[in-house]
Amino acid sequence: MFKLNILAFLLVVIISTVFSAIDVEIENKNIDRTIDLTSQLVKVSYKITLEHKSKKAITNYLFLIPSVDCDKLSYVSARDSAKKELKLTLSKTAEECSYSMTLPNSQIPNPVIYIETIFSKALQPYPTEITQAERQLVRYFGNAVFYSPFKTSSQKTTIHLASRNVESFTQVKPSVHSDTQIVYGPYENIPAKTQNEIVVHYENNSPFMVVTRLERTIEVSHWGNVAVEETIDILHSGALLKGSFSRYDYQKDSRSGPASVKSYKTILPASATGVYYRDTNGNISTSAMVTLKDSVELDLRPRFPLFGGWRTHYTIGYNVPSFEYLFHNGDSYMLKMRLIDHVFDDMIVDELVTKIILPEGTKNLKLITPYSVERQPDTLHFTYLDITGRPVITFRKTNLVENHINDFNIKYNFSRIMMLQEPLLVVVFLYLFFLFVIIWMRLDFSIIKERERLHKD
Amino acid sequence: MSTVKPATTLRVSSEKQESLVKLGILVLAAILSFSTRLFSVLRFESVIHEFDPYFNYRTTKFLTEKGFYNFHNWFDEMAWYPLGRIIGGTIYPGLMVTSATIYRILWLLNITIDIRNVCVFIAPLFSSFTTIVTYLLGSEIYSTGAGLVSAAMISIVPGYISRSVAGSYDNEAIAIFAMLLTYYMWIKSVKTGTIFWSTLTSLAYFYMVSSWGGYVFLINLIPLHVLTLMATGRFSHRLYVAYSTVYCIGTILSMQISFVGFQPVQSSEHMLAFGVFGLCQLHAFVDFLRSKLTKEQFEVLFKSLVAAILSIFVAFAAVLTLSGKISPWTGRFYSLLDPSYAKNHIPIIASVSEHQPTSWSSFYFDLQILVFLFPAGLYFCFDKLTDANIFIILYGVTSIYFAGVMVRLMLVLAPIMCILSGVAVSHLLTKYIRNVDTSVAVPFVSDSSAKPSNYRQEPSRKTKKYELQQKGVKNEIAIGFVILMTFMLITYTFHCTWVTSEAYSSPSIVLSARSHDGSRIIFDDFREAYYWLKMNTAEDARIMSWWDYGYQITAMANRTILVDNNTWNNTHISRVGQAMASTEEKAYEIMRELDVNYVLVIFGGLTGYSSDDINKFLWMVRIGGSTDRGQHIKEQDYYSSNGDFRIDKEGSPTLLNCLMYKLCYYRFGQVYTEAGKPTGYDRVRAAEIGNKDFELETLQEVYTTEHWLVRIYKVKDLENRGV
Repeated sequence: MFKLNILAFLLVVIISTVFSAIDVEIENKNIDRTIDLTSQLVKVSYKITLEHKSKKAITNYLFLIPSVDCDKLSYVSARDSAKKELKLTLSKTAEECSYSMTLPNSQIPNPVIYIETIFSKALQPYPTEITQAERQLVRYFGNAVFYSPFKTSSQKTTIHLASRNVESFTQVKPSVHSDTQIVYGPYENIPAKTQNEIVVHYENNSPFMVVTRLERTIEVSHWGNVAVEETIDILHSGALLKGSFSRYDYQKDSRSGPASVKSYKTILPASATGVYYRDTNGNISTSAMVTLKDSVELDLRPRFPLFGGWRTHYTIGYNVPSFEYLFHNGDSYMLKMRLIDHVFDDMIVDELVTKIILPEGTKNLKLITPYSVERQPDTLHFTYLDITGRPVITFRKTNLVENHINDFNIKYNFSRIMMLQEPLLVVVFLYLFFLFVIIWMRLDFSIIKERERLHKD
Repeated sequence: MSTVKPATTLRVSSEKQESLVKLGILVLAAILSFSTRLFSVLRFESVIHEFDPYFNYRTTKFLTEKGFYNFHNWFDEMAWYPLGRIIGGTIYPGLMVTSATIYRILWLLNITIDIRNVCVFIAPLFSSFTTIVTYLLGSEIYSTGAGLVSAAMISIVPGYISRSVAGSYDNEAIAIFAMLLTYYMWIKSVKTGTIFWSTLTSLAYFYMVSSWGGYVFLINLIPLHVLTLMATGRFSHRLYVAYSTVYCIGTILSMQISFVGFQPVQSSEHMLAFGVFGLCQLHAFVDFLRSKLTKEQFEVLFKSLVAAILSIFVAFAAVLTLSGKISPWTGRFYSLLDPSYAKNHIPIIASVSEHQPTSWSSFYFDLQILVFLFPAGLYFCFDKLTDANIFIILYGVTSIYFAGVMVRLMLVLAPIMCILSGVAVSHLLTKYIRNVDTSVAVPFVSDSSAKPSNYRQEPSRKTKKYELQQKGVKNEIAIGFVILMTFMLITYTFHCTWVTSEAYSSPSIVLSARSHDGSRIIFDDFREAYYWLKMNTAEDARIMSWWDYGYQITAMANRTILVDNNTWNNTHISRVGQAMASTEEKAYEIMRELDVNYVLVIFGGLTGYSSDDINKFLWMVRIGGSTDRGQHIKEQDYYSSNGDFRIDKEGSPTLLNCLMYKLCYYRFGQVYTEAGKPTGYDRVRAAEIGNKDFELETLQEVYTTEHWLVRIYKVKDLENRGV
């Protein structure tokens, strides 16, 4: 019976995908594509206007990404004309990754879909090595036309660049370069699944920094505090530094080392206090903190400026009051905090490990995350005055960008009496200690009287 | 002090009152000695200081991570490339084991403290213990009052603080505690003559041996004490039991430290202890014979025995010395006896600033009024001579000599200065405060006791309850004297705090200066450079620098270095000195030979940091030229025609073209450092550099820190053939 169910389900899936794939009567009436290449990320947003040839309502739509770009895709989201988020279902083939979405069943003749995608590490420094004084040039490999399983009647692509300085770009008529923009199109009547590769080689001195590993630890105390600590490894992933680094040139001219990173901003929650910034050798004294109305802005300067290929590693930590993040109803609690927080603008995080340390005696944990994460086995953490240990929830995710900054929820039960355990422990210990001393002072353990002990000669 | 007042109103017995006052003073002194050492932590951060502490920190971290056996067998391939160093067998492990033990215990109790913090705070912690041991020692040799005063004094004495501030993670941090503990136990065992106390002395001595090379002072002082007691006819069975036990157990225990090994029975530094041990047996034997024989018989026997044993002993010692069984006296010890020895013979010992003879001003700087109270204390000890007092006198006299020879031995002098001054202050105050009229004394004492800095007068307050023995001094004189004493003690307190805060509380790894507008500028260049090395060089990269920075590079940058502060291999250091002092081509050959990847130099010319490599350069020349391979390097070549060491145009061409000069001043000739001065003006040497325009051919600048304090160069590979 069960097997039959699966078979039936599979059949439905196959039929539906086949149907949606070959529903040739759907047509992309107009595509407005914007590719933002101003930072180290490639942000592509689409405005897709659909049309059904036989004026039927469109229920399903398929969005494709060629498999070369699949691994670089870090974030994708789709919204309908009412700006409502659409649920995406991913299926992979050798050729492409396809995201299928169900449109709300409305009778609008030409529904509009907004799709936003972010690719990390899609820009390649070229040349791969530059000297200190040189500017950083990068190459973008893309497609002049929208890659779609449907026919596209009209489309236009605007590429925003980081600078006016363009070494070269592939001409696909009509294509125009003006100021910091390159416009491809408009193109008419492009058949389905057309690929027309373009290369844009341009100057991009924006910080190319990758957080190769970010370990975020959140320690919850029911005494009113949540301690957050982030251990961060950063690599400058732009063009490697060729030859020497001259401090003289670097200091003489503030424009020297255009591709290097001197400092960057990290934004912390507004209520963050007790902020520290250090590495294995101690405090990094070159940082400034500005408290703004809705956030705390840290101007972090690594110990040394980061040039292409240079790394750094540091720890940043702060405390926030728990009432902003911890909610309770009787003995059941809910912690709502950010799964990952801002490190610098347009960041790329290769690997994130988040650890949440809950108070001792927590039961019935339930973790809800905004997107899928790889949950690691739970462990125990022992620290001051612990007996049974604090439960630790760990999860991992790779390839994240700023758009992944979102809240997770943890629901758990905790009996409030448990809060008294630790002070009681101290009290009992001190009590026993004094009792011991009192008894000890009143007992005489010597076998002879004190006066006879010194033997005389 | 507030704890004392309710006690008096509660009308407890005077005995309990006394112990409460004692406890109060001791606890306060212990807390004070801990907290006065925290200046640097509060001003900067919890960070390890200086050079040697970084090595200790690194080894402690290794010990806590890998366990004791791996630590004991540790061959460190990251230092002294390509020779390596056997760490387990060449260090005193006491410090590391102590902190690792504290760390383990804390973790066992789920106190998750970082090992770095254990290391930073261990010196202040042991200073607190030292305060308590000083009290015990003082009250054992003189009186409880003397003990309390000396405890209060040692808690803030700058001579001791200089090597025990938070972050100064060095052997001395625990060794002074171990030394005073051993002395206390020793005096206890001499007084009681029990095996119990003698065994405890040996254990304390073992701890001392495991923690500091200065134990040699201790193992010579105790026999000296015994010898003096024998010479003054104070030999007794108590002494016999005490010394025999201490020597036997102590020697066996000390030989368990692998760095010490067989030295206690072989080296001449330990021969006094051995000789006195033999003499003890003879003395006891002679005493035994004397009690059994008639006087005439004894005379004959005694004379013949002395002659025979002396000749045998001398012959035996000569044979052993000639056959090399007794090692010749090491250089460091010679330099104690003859201050000019090291300078003339071993440049590497003379080059260390802490091995220089002490100047008079530094005695006053480090000890202040103790310098004047010390003779008074000595006088009072002579006045009431006991076995214990003789020990203190010997300790005082020998240590003042050694402190005069070597600056760092000021540390050994400071405790005895405190004890003897404690004796003096306590004795004088007891004498005079008795004659202070009660009606005057009460407001005065309560007034001064309001300030915690004056609590060392407290012991004398109780004494006026005692029966008045003499009424020799007039009331006014007594009051005057007490006021004078109080004033001196107050100035002592202020002086100590000032010295601690100004002179001994900078971590030297982070420098700070005042800018024009009075705000503080921090020069964090050392850590910047070390962290750059750690992050951006290959893990097996070899770094050449002068040996001063070796420990810091291995600990903070985690990279292999050629020479470090251990200075065990003179020729290797000399080779590095030769490379620094040679021309670039010559140096390139040496660097290829030593397999060097990076060269690191310290340069203070931009900021005015005076202890940089150019100022140390003459030592590199001397040490470089002190071995066979460096005979072509002559100190004379580096002086200008007038015989000065100059870096400007007048300087010698050898200096202006050597590697160190080039690395320090590479591209510095283009920099404006001070208004109204030409480019390339060196702010330390106050001169415009002589060789401005040059390029490096075999090296390449890879990193220079923000204030140019540290400059790192990469040694280029050989050029491809046929290019």
